[in-house]
Amino acid sequence: MNQPIVMSDMERRELLWKRIHRVLPFLSLGLLLALWVYVSQGENARFPSPGATWDRFLLIMRHPIKGLTIFGHVWASLQRVCIALICAWLFGIAFGILTGWYRKSDSLLTPLFTAFRSVPPLAWIPLITIWFGLGEFPKILLVFIGSIPAIVVNTHAGMRFVQKIYLDVGTMFNANARQKLFKIAIPSALDAIFAGIRTSTSAAWMVVLAAEMLGGKSGVGFLIIRGMDSLDMPLVLLSMIFIGLVGALLAIITQLTELLLCPWTRKQSN
Amino acid sequence: MPRTDLRHNDQARQGASSSMERRMSTPDSDIKVEVRNLTKYFGRLHVLDDISFNIKRGEFVCVVGPTGCGKTTFLNLLTRIYSPTRGDLFIDGESADPKKHNLAFVFQEPSAFPWLTVEKNLRFGLEIKKLAKDVIDERVEMIIKMLGLQDLRDRYPHQLSVSSEQRIIIGRAFAMHPDLLLMDEPYGQMDVKLRFFLEDEVIRLWQELGTTVVFITHNIEEAVYMAQRILILSTKPTTVKEEVVVDLPRPRRFDDPDFVAIRNYVTEKIKWW
Ligand SMILES: Nc1ncnc2c1ncn2[C@@H]1O[C@H](COP(=O)(O)OP(=O)(O)O)[C@@H](O)[C@H]1O
Ligand SMILES: [Mg+2]
Repeated sequence: MNQPIVMSDMERRELLWKRIHRVLPFLSLGLLLALWVYVSQGENARFPSPGATWDRFLLIMRHPIKGLTIFGHVWASLQRVCIALICAWLFGIAFGILTGWYRKSDSLLTPLFTAFRSVPPLAWIPLITIWFGLGEFPKILLVFIGSIPAIVVNTHAGMRFVQKIYLDVGTMFNANARQKLFKIAIPSALDAIFAGIRTSTSAAWMVVLAAEMLGGKSGVGFLIIRGMDSLDMPLVLLSMIFIGLVGALLAIITQLTELLLCPWTRKQSN
Repeated sequence: MPRTDLRHNDQARQGASSSMERRMSTPDSDIKVEVRNLTKYFGRLHVLDDISFNIKRGEFVCVVGPTGCGKTTFLNLLTRIYSPTRGDLFIDGESADPKKHNLAFVFQEPSAFPWLTVEKNLRFGLEIKKLAKDVIDERVEMIIKMLGLQDLRDRYPHQLSVSSEQRIIIGRAFAMHPDLLLMDEPYGQMDVKLRFFLEDEVIRLWQELGTTVVFITHNIEEAVYMAQRILILSTKPTTVKEEVVVDLPRPRRFDDPDFVAIRNYVTEKIKWW
């Protein structure tokens, strides 16, 4: 039963390093926290301390800004992102398949799209503001514009570079054009499409902040501007922390969805 | 050298040989694949050079040849993945066309679809052909049992070893019950035991279904073990250097002196590459 485990010095050292690697992330988090405490010390520190930030959190929960707690503002931003992303995915995946799979539409439409996506989304702000004002729609439109390139480019690449051998298998089994598209090309491009979904999600989360800074009454972008205008640095930092957390959460969610929907992309992990 | 069981027909002195008579006396309907003056260039690269030969219905032909001589290219021409530069290939007297003929191809490279499980990979071709569900179920069950894939049926190809992945591709082809089965060095990656087993399975399938089989290999022993006729190809530009008829009784034995004689003979020919 209680046989001693036999290990060489080398193996013992490997094991030690493995343990060290597991601890290191926590160590770096601890360092960050220590750094935060350090820079926020003193009377005229220009950085809010952890305590002040926590207090600001409690305050906004008791006295909402424009009727919304921090979670309300996060939710407002998320709603914009979700609506824009769903539209971007529907349109972007269809467009990417169209241009990636059919050579004619590729030659016809891809130059237009390349021109469109070489303009950074924020450059649209003046035009969009003039056309649509400062309401909800222009914000969503801006997020849509910001998230569409990633999904189109990835889908396009996935459909354009379907491995020839898979299509040859289709030819051999006498698959027709529709079967080749739906049963071979699109499934084989799914991991590329998901890469697009991941990138477009993080792009959307970035652009929504910019869109909300333009004006309005809700969203984490609005909170940051509000904090800046009233020199409420704890509020700014609190918003930043939430933006980071939600961004990370979105990344994790898309990754999990991919694993769930495309289990074959999970490489060798029995 | 010439033993009674070893009728090798050098193309050079083929004129009066028995194979010529046989070819003359064969009615056309007995020919499954006819290759006529087949020439293939890839740009300037001259791969196949004016090749002509026939494969009879229900015949088991092995093709051996040096790496890069155009064996895979030949099969790709037969499935119309490539088009010939000159000449043509005929299946059942018609210009080859995977739409018309029930053929299956075991590719040399791993070609199982990574997004389908083992079982769904096996079903793929049958579903493309829109066979009835119970037919598909029955065939897939049979193949899974035959290839010992019961425990792996819900796995994805990347979770399998190379040889298991190759089993999927072989099973996918077998499940089609093709009347022309093309196999491109299918057992190259496999361990010996599985290879022996699958060699026998191909032979069994061939005997039971009357499938015509074209089997490409670089393993001479494998060729002699399975083939009724071995085509030895030359280097590029490639011609059929020689045909060797193997009419040993089955099951064949590797240590049978006749077997060894043919194997040595083919090996001897190949040394000239
Ligand atoms: N699609 C292609 N384009 C250009 N050259 C090719 C192509 N396919 C094969 N070749 C060339 O044709 C020759 C024969 O290839 P292949 O049929 O794969 O040989 P084998 O299967 O006998 O090893 C090789 O020299 C290879 O480089
Ligand atoms: Mg080859």
